[in-house]
Amino acid sequence: MAKTIIDAHNLSKTYNADTVPVKAVQDVHIHIEEGEFVALVGPSGSGKSTLLNMIGGLDEPTSGSVVLDQVEITKLPENKLIDFRLHNIGFVFQSYNLIPVLTAKENVGFVLQLQKIPKEEREKRVLNLLHQVGLEDKLNSRPGELSGGQQQRVAVARALASKPKIVLADEPTANLDSKSTANLLDIMAKLNKEEKTTFLFSTHDIRVIQKARRVITLVDGKVESDVQQTPK
Amino acid sequence: MFQIAWRNIWRNKSRSLVVISSIVIGVWAGIFILSFSWGLYQNNINETIFKQLSHIQIHNPKFNVENDSKYTLSPTDTIMTQLQADDRIASVSNRIISNGMISSPTTASGVKIYGIDPLAEVKQIGLDNNVKKGAYLSAGKENAILIGEKLAKKLKIKPKSKVVLTFTNVKSEIVSGAFRVAGVYRSKNISLDEVNVYVLKTQLRKLLELKPTESNEIAILLKDESQLDAVKKYSADLVPDGKVEDWKELSPELGMIIESFNLYTYILTGIILLALTFGIINTMLMSVLERIRELGMLMAIGLNKRKIFIMIMLETFYLTLVGSPLGLLLGWVTVSVFGNIGIDISMFSEGLSSYGFSSMIYPALDNQNYFIIAFMCLITSLLSAIYPALKALRLNPSEAIRKI
Repeated sequence: MAKTIIDAHNLSKTYNADTVPVKAVQDVHIHIEEGEFVALVGPSGSGKSTLLNMIGGLDEPTSGSVVLDQVEITKLPENKLIDFRLHNIGFVFQSYNLIPVLTAKENVGFVLQLQKIPKEEREKRVLNLLHQVGLEDKLNSRPGELSGGQQQRVAVARALASKPKIVLADEPTANLDSKSTANLLDIMAKLNKEEKTTFLFSTHDIRVIQKARRVITLVDGKVESDVQQTPK
Repeated sequence: MFQIAWRNIWRNKSRSLVVISSIVIGVWAGIFILSFSWGLYQNNINETIFKQLSHIQIHNPKFNVENDSKYTLSPTDTIMTQLQADDRIASVSNRIISNGMISSPTTASGVKIYGIDPLAEVKQIGLDNNVKKGAYLSAGKENAILIGEKLAKKLKIKPKSKVVLTFTNVKSEIVSGAFRVAGVYRSKNISLDEVNVYVLKTQLRKLLELKPTESNEIAILLKDESQLDAVKKYSADLVPDGKVEDWKELSPELGMIIESFNLYTYILTGIILLALTFGIINTMLMSVLERIRELGMLMAIGLNKRKIFIMIMLETFYLTLVGSPLGLLLGWVTVSVFGNIGIDISMFSEGLSSYGFSSMIYPALDNQNYFIIAFMCLITSLLSAIYPALKALRLNPSEAIRKI
C-alpha cells in the first residue's frame, strides 16, 4: 500500500469569529496517498479554496491539523513553513500568478534558485520542464506576452520545478478555454504518472472532474462524498 | 532577487522616475544649501580677516579691558621688525587707538579713532579700496581724516568739511584736534563704518602724547591660515606682556552668526530630507499595496519574509542609487557654475552687510560633503522604505492571493 502523503484531520476554519462567524470548512478529514490525482469539487463558497490553502500551509486552520509526508505543518513556525512549502509543495493558482518581470524560463527557475540549485542543473531542469509543457519556443517571453493557457502551463512547470511531492492547484482551468484546459490536464496527468507527483486540485469544471481518478465533493464546508472513478 | 528588484522598479516607470527625481532634487538641494551657506561663511570670514581684523592681533592686556590709549605695546619698532622678518607672515601693521567724539558744525557722535600708517593699511586691510569720495590718507596732510559714509551722513559732512575730534590723552587730560575730511569710505560692514575713523598715526600720537615706540594694536596677516597657531605662539613669545588673539577670539559674534546659520542649514536640510521621506514612504507603500497578490504568491511559492523585506529595500536602494549620482552631478555643476560667477543677493544685502556679509556669494563645498549628503539621502530613503517593507511582511499569503 502506498504511503499517506496528505492527512487532514478534523480541519475547521471559521472567518470573522468575533463578529459574524462564517464556517468555511467544518471538521474535514481527508487522506490522500502518494501519486493520487484528486479533484476537489463543489459549488462556489463550499470551502474548496480555503481547504486547499490550509493544506498548503497558506492559511492557518481554526482547529485541526494537517500532516504532509509525516510533517505536521500546522505546528511549524512561519519561516520553517515557508521553507517546507518551497521544497515540498507546488502551487498553481487560478489566475496565473507568475512573476511579471521575469521571463518564462526565469519564472520556472526562480524556485530552483531559492533552493540554491547550481546554475547548470537549474538550466537543464527548466528547459526540460518547459519542453514537457510544450513551451520550448517561449523561453524568453514574459508573462504579459503569453496567452492565459501558456501562462498556466508555465505555472504548472514552475510548480513542478522543485520536484515537490504535492501539487496543489486552485481552479487552474477557471480562466482557460476548452482546448487549453484539455491540454493542461493532459500535461498534469502525464506528469502525475511519470513523476509520481500527487495532484490535488479544486474545480467545478465537469471536463476536469472527468479526468480525475478520485473526486471529493465539498458542500457547505463539509465532505459530502469521496469516490474513486475511472478517468475518461 | 537582485534582478527581480531591479526589474520591479522599471515596471511603473513614471512612478520610479518621480522617486528618482525627488532623490535628485533632495541631493541637489542639500548640496546647494550647504554650499551656499558655506560660501556665505567663507565670504564673511574672508571679509572679516582681510578687511577688518587680520588673522592675529596683539594688544596690551589692559587695553582690551579699559580701552584706554595709555595701555600700549612697546617697543613697537623692534617687534615689527622681527615679525616682518618672519616668512610665514604676509604683512604687519601697528595702530594707535583712542575712543572719543567727533563734532561737525551740526552734530556730534562717538567714534573709535585709529591712528594708522596709510601705506601699511593698504596692504593690511585694503583701506584705500573702500574710499568712495575724496582721497585716501597720505603722509603729507597731517590733519586729514577718513570717515565712514554712514557717519558722514549722520554728521552731514562731505570731503573737505572740518571736524573736531575730542578725546583724553595718556595723562587723562581732554584734548581736541581739528581735522579736515580727506575722504569718505564705505566698507562691507556698515555698523563699523559709523564708528571707525582713521587719521595719521603721527598726528594722533602727538595729540595723545605717546612715545614713538608705543602703539596700541599690532595686526598680523598670514600667508597661510594653517600657520595660525604656530605664529600665534611665536608672537606670544615675542611680546610676552601682550595679549595675542586670533580672529575667532576677536570676533565672537562672527562665530555666533555662523552657528545660527548652521542651525538654519540643518533645519532646511532636515525639511528636505523629511519631504523625501514622505515621498518615498508614499511611493513604496503604493507599490507594495499594488502588488499584494504578487507578494502573496511569492510567499506561497517559498520566498521567505526576510527575502521579501530585502527585495523591497533593494528596490528603494536601486532608486536611490540611480538618483543620488544624478543629484550629485547636478549639485556639483551648480556649485561649480555659481562658484565662479557668484550669486548676487543684494536684494537682501542691506540687512546682511550690517552683519558684515558681502552681497556676492560664491558657493563652495568640500568633496567630503558631497558624499555626506548622498549618504544621508541613502540612509533616509532606506529608513523610509522600512515601513512599506514591514507592511509587505504583515501580509498573509492566502489572503493576499485572494485580493484582486
